Amino acid sequence: MWQQVELALSQSAHRALVTLANFLPGLLALVLAVTILTVVGIFLAAVLRRLLTALRFDERLAQGSIIPLEWAPSHSPTLLVTRAAFWGSVVLGCLIGISAFDAAYAGNSQVSFFLFPYLTHSVGAILLFMVGTLIARFLARTVLIEAVNARLSYARILSLGVKWLVLVLTAAMVLDHLEIGGTVVDLAFGILFGGIVLTLALAVGLGSRDMVSRSLEKNTDAEIAAGDPLARPASVSETLRHF
Amino acid sequence: MATTPSNATTTAPVTASSETGMLVHITTVSPETIEPALSNLALAFPGIPLTVAIPDTAPNLSAGHSFDKLRLLPYTPAAVSSANWILTAADYFNTYKLAQEHNASACLMLGADSHTMQPESLQRLAAATLSTGNDLVVAHYHPGPRESLLNSAIFYPMSRSLFCARPRFPLAIDLGVSLRMAERLATTAQRYTAAGQDDALLWPVAEATVANFTIAETDIPVRSSPTPVTPDLNVLLSQIAGSLFSDIDSKASYWQRIRHTVPKRTITAATDASEPLDITAILQSFKLAYSNLQEIWALVLPPHSLLGLKRLSVMPQEAFRMPDSLWARIVYDFVLAYRLRTINRNHLMGALAPLYLAWVASHLTLVHSGIPAEQHIEELAQAFETDKPYLVSRWRWPDRFNP
Repeated sequence: MWQQVELALSQSAHRALVTLANFLPGLLALVLAVTILTVVGIFLAAVLRRLLTALRFDERLAQGSIIPLEWAPSHSPTLLVTRAAFWGSVVLGCLIGISAFDAAYAGNSQVSFFLFPYLTHSVGAILLFMVGTLIARFLARTVLIEAVNARLSYARILSLGVKWLVLVLTAAMVLDHLEIGGTVVDLAFGILFGGIVLTLALAVGLGSRDMVSRSLEKNTDAEIAAGDPLARPASVSETLRHF
Repeated sequence: MATTPSNATTTAPVTASSETGMLVHITTVSPETIEPALSNLALAFPGIPLTVAIPDTAPNLSAGHSFDKLRLLPYTPAAVSSANWILTAADYFNTYKLAQEHNASACLMLGADSHTMQPESLQRLAAATLSTGNDLVVAHYHPGPRESLLNSAIFYPMSRSLFCARPRFPLAIDLGVSLRMAERLATTAQRYTAAGQDDALLWPVAEATVANFTIAETDIPVRSSPTPVTPDLNVLLSQIAGSLFSDIDSKASYWQRIRHTVPKRTITAATDASEPLDITAILQSFKLAYSNLQEIWALVLPPHSLLGLKRLSVMPQEAFRMPDSLWARIVYDFVLAYRLRTINRNHLMGALAPLYLAWVASHLTLVHSGIPAEQHIEELAQAFETDKPYLVSRWRWPDRFNP
């Protein structure tokens, strides 16, 4: 019996080592491809920057353009081209690496079956996360500024609420994309999203009680003032002409 | 009726015998205002067969009017603008095309509601336009202390300090232009109209200054100003101030070289403190913005300005006063942030709105205390001039120089 256990253990260890041995070259190929292409990207970007600066690319583009182009110094055309070249190389490295990783396994390999989809999906998930975070920040800022200019006292809560709504949505999408959690994510997302919306509705509803009553009072005053023009003098903000 | 400008032009009037060669372009017409506008022109230039271009969208006019002597020229606009309360790229483009087609030597561009101008004002504008040497004649209006505030707070001080231009209303809607000025404006306008941006705003005073053309001002004491399509302050700021900031960016190589300043205006007006003042709502708005927008302002403004705003946020209403130097610095920092795209440009203009309202509150408090509005605006313009080296330094080295 002990011999059978020993045999089972040694076979299992052998299989694990063989799998690892098969896994490592693919991983090494992926890392190498990404590293080499990143270095190539850095080199290419540096060469392009020097070349375009020498050719006065930015100035030529501004002069030759019919449509007025607005470039900030931190987003000049030269910088855009060099960054595009660099990131193009990095993406190319990732694609080559993933292909090499895939080619390192037989089609029916279990590691390939489980790991490869995760690898490809994780690229999409990272992109989703980045875009989601950017949108959340942009929307939060937009809501904050608009709400402040609309004189809403709960502007910050509204802005935070919108930010977390988008972040929660992004997190759920990322997990769904990675196929992690299954129905738990859907359920948790539903609860969290609904919770935030309810919190916002309560906060805004309770916070704006005074505003609604003031607004109603204002309307009543306006109706009275329509009958008597001297009833309520116009406030300063109403009489201002900005342009 | 705030002031009498000390630098308004005085020229010989246009007489019946004058061979004017001038084209009048009424840029915006509506069924209700076209007849009064033409009657006003006929009253201003009696017996003179003035050529008046009106868009063919104007209603058909029957004979037997007081303006029958005018040579009406209905035309199909080459570019159509939807903004009828301000002069746009489409208007400048159409004006030059008309001037070229009819061999005009000068053009008078009249904005919406031009019928509310006095005939004498129209005469003065035409005479200044026709007088030798004037390439651009800009209307000088006389708004009350609560009117034309964006112009007083930003456009005039910026135009004066950066371009060393004297006109009090750099974005006036009644202009007189020589043919070469019209050509220059049309060339700039064409860049926008070709891109489908017919509603883009141009800054004629800055254009004339860069081209080294002669600029004059004419007094228009009475005129009702047309209401913007959207009276919302944020939209106005984005549209007009954004356009000014963009224009400043495109002309940076010019204004950085200018070292001299405009001589001080003589203010002869009395005080405008008759109206009651209640700035509570404006100040509440500023305080709300201060408690919420600090992190956004901190991306744009240096610590010194943030400290100034902190002091303002705790100032009592009666003594509320934004120093001119602080406002000048704020505007300059926002111009820089616009150029560097520190944050999204719409966000930037939205973040400027509460600060502008704080300036308005401070300005109204000062006026209420007995200081003439025009005097304060002159002092503000001087503060902008004094602080110009700061803008130039930060424009050249945005990261190195940030006190």
